Amino acid sequence: MLTCKEFDDFMVDYLEQGLPVWRNFMCWLHVKMCRECADFVRDYKRAVKLGQIAFDSPDEPVPDFVPEELIKAALSHRRSN
Amino acid sequence: MARATSAISRAKPATTAGTSQSEYLDSSEKELLDCLRAGDNGCYEILVRRFGPQVLATAKRYLRSDADAADCFQDTFLAVFKSIDKFEQRSTIGTWLRGITINQCLMRIRAQGRRQEDSIEHLLPVFDEKGNRMDSCSSNGSCQIDELLDTAQMKQLVREKILELPDTSRVMLLLRDIDGYSTKEAATILGISVTAAKTRLHRSRTALGALLKPEMERLKYHADV
Ligand SMILES: [Zn+2]
Repeated sequence: MLTCKEFDDFMVDYLEQGLPVWRNFMCWLHVKMCRECADFVRDYKRAVKLGQIAFDSPDEPVPDFVPEELIKAALSHRRSN
Repeated sequence: MARATSAISRAKPATTAGTSQSEYLDSSEKELLDCLRAGDNGCYEILVRRFGPQVLATAKRYLRSDADAADCFQDTFLAVFKSIDKFEQRSTIGTWLRGITINQCLMRIRAQGRRQEDSIEHLLPVFDEKGNRMDSCSSNGSCQIDELLDTAQMKQLVREKILELPDTSRVMLLLRDIDGYSTKEAATILGISVTAAKTRLHRSRTALGALLKPEMERLKYHADV
């Protein structure tokens, strides 16, 4: 079985399903057998998801307010260049 | 600087891959583009008003101060005005603008110089001599269930934690996990190898996980639903 350190080294590719079949299986097996790494993977995935939720999707409408002076400055900036 | 510009134009977000040129712009975007290329001042104003919120939000993600984000806003639209003729329509105008905005942010971060960054080593996992994971920090279960955070509080907290990361880690995380670039594309933008990008991404995510861990009991509801 992989050690936790070895599993950690493969983790990005494992989560992106970018590993060869055998190595992928070894990682899967490690997570099944190792409580510490299973907990780590769970919190790691949560952290990624929370980050994505915190900023929403960039493709979503942005409810941010742009100060009028910033818009005016951008337009006058263009005219002067 | 030039390297960064060309890198970001090569690295398109994954969502735009594999489609032919004409499929990206709808009729209103094509109309806007034609108008911009004709040099119509009114159309520039439409562009700034329509995409300004997105540009400012992106700049605020990458830069630490509102003043820098405001400057980046100006620089982005100036770059857009100068390069509108070079827009190849291989993405939507919004995606193209996001790439330019991120590029302007990265140039600004680089121009501010490589400050001594705080180490994130203390946030990374520890392994014993046999390669077994050692629980380095844990406060799981320390929060009461009635302390659950609502969505706005959660977003605020997570943003603050991401801001605690040093620029190198934060930018990697934003490019890959928030702005949707692939690891390979992020590596190209940052001028590093894919292997180095994977390592940096893993360390950044791990560090964020460690920063969030003390709060995870009140946050996990948002991540697990
Ligand atoms: Zn393990």
